[in-house]
Amino acid sequence: MRSPDEPLAVRLSGVSLVYGSRGRFPRRGGNPVEALRDIDATVGIGEFVTIVGPSGCGKSTLLRLVAGFAFPTGGQVAVSGVPVTGPGPDRGVVFQQPRLFPWLSVRRNVEFGPRMAGMPAVRRRERAAELLELVGLSDSAGRRPYELSGGMQQRAAIARALAPDPAILLMDEPFAALDALTRERLQEEIRGIWQTTGKTVLFVTHSVDEAVYLGTRILVLSRRPGRLVLDQASDLPLASDPHTHPAFTSVRETIAAAVRRSASDEEVT
Amino acid sequence: MGVCGAVIRGVGLRVGAVLLLAGIWWAVAAAHVWPEVFVPSPGSVWDQLFLTSSVRDGQRGYSGHLLHEHLLASLRRIGLGSLYGVAGGIALGLVIGLVPTVRALLGPLVTFVRTLPPLAYFSLLIIWFGIDETPKVTLLFVAALPPVAVATAEAVRGVHEDYLHAARSLGARRWQLPFQIVLPSALPEVITGIRVAVGVAYTTVVAAETVNGVPGIGGMIRDAQRYNQTDVVILGLLVIGASGLLIDALLQLTARLLVPWRGKA
Repeated sequence: MRSPDEPLAVRLSGVSLVYGSRGRFPRRGGNPVEALRDIDATVGIGEFVTIVGPSGCGKSTLLRLVAGFAFPTGGQVAVSGVPVTGPGPDRGVVFQQPRLFPWLSVRRNVEFGPRMAGMPAVRRRERAAELLELVGLSDSAGRRPYELSGGMQQRAAIARALAPDPAILLMDEPFAALDALTRERLQEEIRGIWQTTGKTVLFVTHSVDEAVYLGTRILVLSRRPGRLVLDQASDLPLASDPHTHPAFTSVRETIAAAVRRSASDEEVT
Repeated sequence: MGVCGAVIRGVGLRVGAVLLLAGIWWAVAAAHVWPEVFVPSPGSVWDQLFLTSSVRDGQRGYSGHLLHEHLLASLRRIGLGSLYGVAGGIALGLVIGLVPTVRALLGPLVTFVRTLPPLAYFSLLIIWFGIDETPKVTLLFVAALPPVAVATAEAVRGVHEDYLHAARSLGARRWQLPFQIVLPSALPEVITGIRVAVGVAYTTVVAAETVNGVPGIGGMIRDAQRYNQTDVVILGLLVIGASGLLIDALLQLTARLLVPWRGKA
């Protein structure tokens, strides 16, 4: 149990979101849709928290609330103790699609954040080189995003998100669109990046395996309206190879069961 | 077949098509189906090319100006009109695309101007600005602006929100988004709009030169029409068409250099 005054990366207090109930998300000709209901959760500094749940459960929506792309209709989202009022360079975001800027080279994509922060050109270039090295793209710095494979584009997107040195990395099903082999390799790499940089990571996925492999804490959301049905700590990601760790199967089974229960209609406690 | 072979084939096809059309033209003219004043022979048009490009008996080209002077005068008007039109169109399109209130206010106006035939408001421009360069360039500006404005506005509204979210999460301020994200990602559509705008300026320049249009290809064509010099009319059409093809090819090349990601991202 955490003490209340321990510094937190993210605190969600009673977060609810109903689309169509306010002018911000006008829904024509439909009833309000309740996406998230009364979610209380915290993310400690340096944790790798994965959010898993059936599709349409609002897990991506939850991440977007933390990113500041949308705002809850009830409750509060606080990052580093401060209520979220919009997006900011303290929270790096990696989307399901890499969303690299096609008009910039890979290096200039990574430099975008530092450039916005007013970092001088020489330091910017060093920073980009450092991060491209970290994600294994040093040789592709001068290429355009569309010249890279999907996996390489997602690596570049991770480097770009890390460039402003955010406190938290928010990842929205970042590997869902990749083939199985590339996905596995990137899962391994993001675990390595988390271990070397010590960043706090909030990672949304629909894959139980991925959630268990990566998460030091695994949050399970129910189907819509999304409620928190399980908050499970795990030390698997710290093992040298989580997949072969004896506890992997049992943690995996716990999470999978919670996801299965939440996907059916029965109430979960 | 190599790249070289493909290029030769492409050029060959084009040259072949032109030669074929010229052959048909020559045959029709030689058959004298219609009088020379309706269908001049390729030969007399060819002769006019040299007559209008040279000084003879103290007479400079046609209507006192050499052919290339007519062409340059027209190109200058097209260039200036398109330049102002493109600059204005991008600015207007950006504002229309970004600000809903402005969209509601100016959207219908842009569509209204776009549907007007340029000649309809040319009279008004002459009343306002006289018969010198100003009304001509203004006419081309007004004609070239709407295609760019519409293309830009549409592209601006179509920018994927994740690009904007990504930029904001990377520390971009709200006011930086139009130039850092919105315009670059709208660039492919904007360039298409520019090509359309230059095309519109081309089709409008002859209309702009119906009043005090010498030097100018339009003025030359108009004078030739008065004296039934059909060969000069056709020469004018060919010259303006050929230069239009060249300019469009240049614009396409620029587009490929500026927007290499088109269709790939």
